[in-house]
Amino acid sequence: MRPPLVRGRDGVIAGVCAGLAVHLGIAAGWIRLAMVLLTLASGAGVVLYGWLWLFVPTTADRADLDRRSGPASYMRDAGPAAVTPPGGRQVAGRDAGAGATAPGPPQSRPTPTQPGPGEPESWGERARRAGRREILFGAGLLIAAAVLLAQVLGVQVDWAFLVPVSVVVIGAALAWSQLDDARRARLVSQARAGRPGWGVRLGAGIVLVVAGVLVALSSSTSLSLTMTTLIAVVAVLAGVGLVLAPWGLKFWRDLESERASRVREAERAEIAAHLHDSVLQTLALIQNRADSETDVLRLARAQERELRRWLFADPSRDPGSLSERLRATAGEIEDLYGHPVSVVAVGDAALGPAEDALSQAAREAVLNAAKHADVAVSVYLEAGPDSIEVFVRDRGRGFDPDQVPADRAGIRDSIRSRMLRYGGSTELRTGPDGTEVHLRLPRTAAGTDRSGASGAGSGRDAG
Amino acid sequence: MTREPTGPAGGARVSVVIVDDHGIFRSGLRATLGATIDVLGEASTVEEAEAVVRATEPDVVLLDVHLPGGRGGGGAEVILRCAASGAGSRFLALSVSDAAEDVVAVIRAGARGYVTKTISGPDITAAVHRVATGDAVFSPRLAGFVLDAFGTAAVAVDDELDRLSARELEVMRLIARGYTYRETAQELFISIKTVETHVSAVLRKLQLSSRHELTRWASERRLL
Repeated sequence: MRPPLVRGRDGVIAGVCAGLAVHLGIAAGWIRLAMVLLTLASGAGVVLYGWLWLFVPTTADRADLDRRSGPASYMRDAGPAAVTPPGGRQVAGRDAGAGATAPGPPQSRPTPTQPGPGEPESWGERARRAGRREILFGAGLLIAAAVLLAQVLGVQVDWAFLVPVSVVVIGAALAWSQLDDARRARLVSQARAGRPGWGVRLGAGIVLVVAGVLVALSSSTSLSLTMTTLIAVVAVLAGVGLVLAPWGLKFWRDLESERASRVREAERAEIAAHLHDSVLQTLALIQNRADSETDVLRLARAQERELRRWLFADPSRDPGSLSERLRATAGEIEDLYGHPVSVVAVGDAALGPAEDALSQAAREAVLNAAKHADVAVSVYLEAGPDSIEVFVRDRGRGFDPDQVPADRAGIRDSIRSRMLRYGGSTELRTGPDGTEVHLRLPRTAAGTDRSGASGAGSGRDAG
Repeated sequence: MTREPTGPAGGARVSVVIVDDHGIFRSGLRATLGATIDVLGEASTVEEAEAVVRATEPDVVLLDVHLPGGRGGGGAEVILRCAASGAGSRFLALSVSDAAEDVVAVIRAGARGYVTKTISGPDITAAVHRVATGDAVFSPRLAGFVLDAFGTAAVAVDDELDRLSARELEVMRLIARGYTYRETAQELFISIKTVETHVSAVLRKLQLSSRHELTRWASERRLL
């Protein structure tokens, strides 16, 4: 099966010959030679080349097409790369940096259409691409020299015709190459979009074409007639522009809104996927276990926790901080015993060895409460400048610390000695109203003078 | 939190209006509210809420933070609109959202308290009675939130709006630890009435403080 006909990014001018070579399985050099030969046949090669340039899609176009179709396309688009507006030109400055780091999908992906140009060839291809402008310029000079040589040799050269035509061709090429680049940049990556010259190139192209046409006209008729014609043409163009402007604007707006809706669609698809994976699954489970109250409660709490984290996750919070650790612990124990464990945190601290011990001790305390008190547990964390305090409170029946069997090491080893090792203290209060374990860790002893609070710092320092 | 069966208002009857855009939640709440509470009406949008509150003039409005309608201001907008039209009702915010900006917005608009929707029937009944008598209702989370916003360092001057006094800090800490008002009072050897006074003072500071970064802080920070 032949690879599809696409224009590669490794061509000399627009990748037409390279694409044809891949498609036909012939070396690119032969194709190029054939093009040159065809060009000699009264310019047929140029026409063919231009036609192919216009109608053969680039690999980027193709990749984009493949990406858009298929159910997975939305999800892939939901990534950060796709959220940047596709019209890369408008956000050129911002995306110039992002484009470098973001994994622009088609660019880095080895396209299936190009099995040939692997790594060994890539250096040569890149060098050729870099020298494209020089090659074009050189070719132009060569043609000019050939024409001059022909004149010297006695061939009648119609300069009045040749110069305006070549100016028009150069102008059109400028404008079109810009169009091609714009399309490519929009679809592939924003790497090129940082170049500010696109407007200049378009303007220069238009000026060249108009000037060329004018010169061509004025060479055959008088100057005053040309000026009159010019004015008439400009007036007509202005009139047509006036009529077409609303249409153009409307078209542009439609395009923009279509883009926006595509981004929205991608977001919606992401949310739908998340809800499906989490909430719908849990609801199904709840229906299955409807007869077990504890199971239903546990599932609902776990789901709520997960959804809350997804909705309200605080990006400023360090995921490795003490409060996050406590929350994770609380969720874990909640799942184990089915009693709600709520965590209220004021301030926060980074996790060092001492904080780690504190979180372990707190975990043990919460575990004890959930296991023995058999009720809801509340955890309060306060990380101040001098100390970190954790209160674990339950409303169970309470217990007599002296009656705890000697083989139950929970309180003594897991909590008290852990805290002592880092210069902390443990206080246990228990009674018929419930039990409260108070863990205190001095900050200096913790050896961490890190300003722990990411959010609370703003509350404490100011004022 | 507030575990006492009823507030100081004892057997007094309290009239409420439930404002929430979820019909299931409204009917569920209506069922869990105690016998001492009369539900005068329900509303599901900002406009409906304003109309119902003005027509029935309840003692307490149970208000969801997120509501459709109006100018998109949700519960806070309802409070401001009702206050502008001179209704004397008090507001208790009920929400599933723990986002700090939601809490701050609705409290600063004038709500007398903030509780989560997972609150139990007796607790919400007690909270309604408490709000009806003009007191403030703080959940542990809201207390922790106040401590986080105002800082945990006390000031000597009692009436400074940007800081909490030593006593207010102690009260807030105990509430954040999960103590009820009664337990807090026992712990600090003061009367429940004094605890209520402190909590109301904290609420006033939260509402009136010109602390410039309070709102910014809330919008940047989201409670989990």
